Amino acid sequence: MINVSLAGIGGQGSVLAAKILAEAARSKGWQVRTAETTGMAQRGGDVMSHVRMGNNGEEVFSPLPGDASDDVIIALEPGEGLRALYLLKPSGVMVVARSGVAPTVGDFKSPSYDPAKMIEALQASGAHVVVVDDVALCDALGSRKALNIIMLASALKAVNAPESQSALRGVLTLDDMRAVVPACVKERFVEMNLRAVSLVEGA
Amino acid sequence: MAKEFLTGNEAFAHAALEAGVRVCAGYPGTPSSEVIETVAKEHAAGRAEGVHVEWSTNEKAALELLAGAAYSGARTLYTCKQVGLNVASDALMSLNYVGVKGGTVLYVADDPGPISSQTEQDTRRFAAFAKVPVFDPATPEQGCQMMGAAYDLSEKYQTPVLMRPTTRVCHASTYFEVAEHTQARTPEGFKRDSRWVIFPKRSYAAHKEINERLVSIANDFSESEFDAFNPIFAEGENAQFGIVAGGISYAYTREALRLLEEEVQTGKLVWAQGAPAAPVLPPQCEGGYCTMGGPAYGRTVEALPAYRIMQVGTPYPFPQKRAVRFAEGLSDVIVFEELDHVLEDEMLKTAGRAHVGYRVHGKLTGETTDRGENTVDAIAAQLRAFFGVQLSEPRKVFGAEAATAASAGEEAAQIQSPARPPLLCPGCPHRGAFYAVKSALRKPSDGIFCGDIGCYTLGNAKPLNAVDTCLCMGAGITVAQGFSVVEPGKKALSFVGDSTFFASGMTGIANAVYNQHDITVCVLDNATTAMTGSQPHPGTGVTLMGPKSEPISIEAVLRALGVKVITHANPLCLDEAREAAREAIYYDGPSAIIFESPCVKLIKPGAPVRYCEEACTGCGKCVLKIGCPALSWDAENRRPVVDASLCNGCGLCTYLCEDGALECDGNEGSAR
Repeated sequence: MINVSLAGIGGQGSVLAAKILAEAARSKGWQVRTAETTGMAQRGGDVMSHVRMGNNGEEVFSPLPGDASDDVIIALEPGEGLRALYLLKPSGVMVVARSGVAPTVGDFKSPSYDPAKMIEALQASGAHVVVVDDVALCDALGSRKALNIIMLASALKAVNAPESQSALRGVLTLDDMRAVVPACVKERFVEMNLRAVSLVEGA
Repeated sequence: MAKEFLTGNEAFAHAALEAGVRVCAGYPGTPSSEVIETVAKEHAAGRAEGVHVEWSTNEKAALELLAGAAYSGARTLYTCKQVGLNVASDALMSLNYVGVKGGTVLYVADDPGPISSQTEQDTRRFAAFAKVPVFDPATPEQGCQMMGAAYDLSEKYQTPVLMRPTTRVCHASTYFEVAEHTQARTPEGFKRDSRWVIFPKRSYAAHKEINERLVSIANDFSESEFDAFNPIFAEGENAQFGIVAGGISYAYTREALRLLEEEVQTGKLVWAQGAPAAPVLPPQCEGGYCTMGGPAYGRTVEALPAYRIMQVGTPYPFPQKRAVRFAEGLSDVIVFEELDHVLEDEMLKTAGRAHVGYRVHGKLTGETTDRGENTVDAIAAQLRAFFGVQLSEPRKVFGAEAATAASAGEEAAQIQSPARPPLLCPGCPHRGAFYAVKSALRKPSDGIFCGDIGCYTLGNAKPLNAVDTCLCMGAGITVAQGFSVVEPGKKALSFVGDSTFFASGMTGIANAVYNQHDITVCVLDNATTAMTGSQPHPGTGVTLMGPKSEPISIEAVLRALGVKVITHANPLCLDEAREAAREAIYYDGPSAIIFESPCVKLIKPGAPVRYCEEACTGCGKCVLKIGCPALSWDAENRRPVVDASLCNGCGLCTYLCEDGALECDGNEGSAR
């Protein structure tokens, strides 16, 4: 069983990234379930998507993963990575964007938000953390809209690195992602998304 | 057939279309809304022929419309969220006595948590109250199979049937085989019969039919083709332990059992002190040294005790005969279900009825979770306790130690993620409306802000703090009238969205005019049902069938109902909005303000506001007054920061800046 969660803020596109993973799983003949947060929670709130894949032929019963059961967490925002950390397996990988989104506070008393502190906390937990320079990659691509694709590609690159101990190594790759992108996004966005994958690969 | 990646809701819609549904109606509500939307999409694409689909004004209108269609023999589908059934309950209670001819399925989505709802009410209880059978799917795939069965059952017994998924079934996705083309069944037509007219004498006779059919249906659920929805599995022989689970909790339980099996295989479980199932070890002598035998407490668990598990996919009428067979020889049964202890009650009843001596563990004994959602981990922990086993050492969960240390009051400086409550979107016109009303009052404490259900409930967040009450759909208008009676010195203010206005606001306004309550109704007309995903409503004129109808004017309705003072404003033009609010609020008698500006999801964002550092005095009003997510505060430099990726240039903040430091296109800001 491979479990991947995507943590972010409503509107960051974690649902599409989950769909790409699901399509990759289907192309391999695995059973797959995804779950997402919608409705009221979406309005600027924190959202999580989950993808569970029966890569060894297991039956997937629940759409939600249990505590400490994710092989990979893809955090589109550092604070959201920290919020999702309890889902990460001891042997799992946390792939996190470096730039943060400050919460709306509406007063001057709340402590100011520092995404670097969130990343420090992730690293201090003992988890294997891969920090992605999302701003540089998005700038190179020329669009912040593809953050979800850039982060998904960064995660697949990290788990397939030569030193990786991940359960996904050689099982789900950047080429698997490339193969299914056209089936998951609107035609006019295919080229940009594939460019994002290549950009991450070459970074 | 084509394979598609669908959410549960989308798949349920396909299942209903494949069952030949002729008329679909509902009112939007998370987590149910996508069913109707999917039917409309399939219809618009020409793949679903012969179907009529609509968003009705409210749930009651939808169900009554479907009753008429079903009397004519059409297969019908009703959808709503759990609290929506409260609105339609008047129709449902009677409809069960009258009965239906065409299969009638009510898709009512429950929301444990609750994640986006007012209550954690349990529609399985509603089924028992209304004496209507109910299906409770564990997965979207099972739910799709149940859909076809539900139509057959409905027609076999001429009863409405409830389908009750929960959020995690509605919004979970997987791959489904769907028909590429569906055709609605042709109904045979209405035939006059006294049965369609409910009368006390007829109801007495119908009650007998209902009672008799519930016995038959319970038998069907126990031992006909429907029993596939109540599967029983046994692990090991001569089991003493039984597990009963319903809905998504059954999926969680299967995952939890798999986790426990893994823990056994990796030697992580030991027998707990006093565990009744612990094996008894014989005395052992080796080299003249003997140990006493006894229970293997503290020793590694070699295998979980034998157990049996039953899913109850048809909780009402409860398949008691099947439950008796399931419970044979069991000493203990644990029940996993969300919301109420429905299955637990039934297992207790079954024990009494069958004179079987098993103990029932669940919510009533404090051994399972009594509210909110279940999880794989909670169920795994509850199952370990049930079996009398425990982990030899706690599972490694990142962040768990820090959290334990923090809750124990230790000074471990724990860094936490920032709270991100749901908020009004950047540029949302409701923000302007709330602020205009607040600032139109002579003192903020002069007003009581009676909110309602929709995006605008989020006006309660700081710094707006503009929702003092929220009860249920339409109640903002009527709750305010109670305040106006008891607190005449205060201004009773009602906030209602355009969709809610038509769904359940109009009778409340009639009451205010009739009984002369001094309230001010603030209609937040953003031209859509925003919270549930931008559905149309009577005020838009857009229908799900294609042709548009004449939009119903909210102002004309208010006038016709006798509201004498009605003002208008664009809520994003603060000066104009404040003036309109002042005029209505300080009128003595029922009055209304119509704030008109479309939802940000319906319009293209404009250019972001421009910030002029030289003009800024660092007063912070722009950030402190309205709480726009696109404006944050740079404390070091004492200046606002505009997030250009979020700002849509609505211009509300430009009215708050007295120094002209914020500007946007087509908006000169406050005229000073």
